Amino acid sequence: MAEGIVNRVVPGSAFALGVVRSIVHGTFLISILFTSFSALGSLPVTILRPTGAMKFLPWSFYDHLQTPGAMVTFKVVLVLSLVFSTAGFLTVVSTKTSLLLVVFYQGLLRSFGHFNHDEMLAVYYLVVLAFTPCGDAFSIDSGIKNKTRAAFAYAYPILLMQLLMAWTYFSSALIKLRVAGLKYLSTDNLPALAIFHSLDNLHDTHFKLAFWLPQVKAYLPFAVGFVIFWELLFPLAVFRQRWRWWILGFGIVFHLATLVFMNIFFPHQLAMYLIFVDWDRWKNRLDDEKTSNQISLTAFKKEC
Amino acid sequence: MARHEPGERRLIVKYAVLTLAIFLPLIWAFLFVRNLYPFASWNVMMAGGDLERGRSYCMLRGETISGETIDIPAINLTNALYSRTWTMVNATIDNQSFKLKSIHPQNEELIRQFGGVEKLPPGVRLTDLLQAWGSLYNERLPAGSPRRLKAIRLDMYRWESGRYSDYDKFVESWRKEL
Repeated sequence: MAEGIVNRVVPGSAFALGVVRSIVHGTFLISILFTSFSALGSLPVTILRPTGAMKFLPWSFYDHLQTPGAMVTFKVVLVLSLVFSTAGFLTVVSTKTSLLLVVFYQGLLRSFGHFNHDEMLAVYYLVVLAFTPCGDAFSIDSGIKNKTRAAFAYAYPILLMQLLMAWTYFSSALIKLRVAGLKYLSTDNLPALAIFHSLDNLHDTHFKLAFWLPQVKAYLPFAVGFVIFWELLFPLAVFRQRWRWWILGFGIVFHLATLVFMNIFFPHQLAMYLIFVDWDRWKNRLDDEKTSNQISLTAFKKEC
Repeated sequence: MARHEPGERRLIVKYAVLTLAIFLPLIWAFLFVRNLYPFASWNVMMAGGDLERGRSYCMLRGETISGETIDIPAINLTNALYSRTWTMVNATIDNQSFKLKSIHPQNEELIRQFGGVEKLPPGVRLTDLLQAWGSLYNERLPAGSPRRLKAIRLDMYRWESGRYSDYDKFVESWRKEL
């Protein structure tokens, strides 16, 4: 019964899961390709503060790694693994090596700065993909050896990923209410926070729109309240098709607003919205268009 | 009740284990509001802003050979860190890498030289970070360029609490000759 429900809620094809694999791994691949690892390796190891699982590694390891040369080598290995997993080549192995290397890389970044949640959801998606048959279609592997399984095998991982995204927003709202309570809706909450993030030149962007917020601060508790309400409603995006695009659409607006008002952006989290797309429907539409084009072409040739 | 083939049953068990392995630590992190990498608690901006609390912030600047003082966006120097640069700087000013359970041997040596963590001046490793950033900046310019830096510095300012004005009260500066 549970399988039936899962298959109704999310697309259950090897193709859909294969596309999701490419999106998740490809997102990390693109962001890493544009990252200077030699510059990262130039930072002094003495300011590193290993966080969480990164504490298990000895300082001698970090001393060897935290050099421009070693970091470039690390980048080459990481890119190679991500190219394989994005393309679906040796998927069973490459999705796991990509997971390990990305978890290490993200841990290293967090050991320099703060936790920052942007990439975390995508990291959990890597975990899901490493242990599910995401190379059965839309992959080089599927061209070499064709394999099909029950729809549930492909549908459940996508459902799990959608639930993980719902959890990030839903739990975020609950934590805000638990920690700050109704104080979170104070008129100064958003302007004070936004202005603080707009003062330095160490953030990614230097938008100054935050300085306009005190002028409209009487209205801001409604905006903040609406954001918390939206976060609480996010699980509906998984189960209610009609609500999905409204909820995701507001998510895009919300993340763009944090960029221009607070100089804080979550590009990885936004890219993960693509797992909500029904890739089977897109494929069917493209297949139908291709078929009708072929029919028209044949008819045209006959006429000629 | 639905009957499952052994292969299907194995798949269901595997997916149940995967789900628990991901969600149990996440629920733990949520309940204790604690980030323990790689387990995340989505506590982003949980406390909100408070106008009554003063806040310090930093500007990275360079002094060029031609005598100009220019703003340097650190994101262009070490783009890997992107949104974490400001917290890396704050942690370095606060000497947080000296307050770990396991301290880097070079930092232990520095603590010995100063006679204790509490005796370290703020941002004792900041000059190393500025040196790294200054070198990265200069490496990208031709040897004779007047835009090359002769020094790089981090200026700290404070936004005093209570008002939406007076954002830039100067606090202190760290400078590194290159």
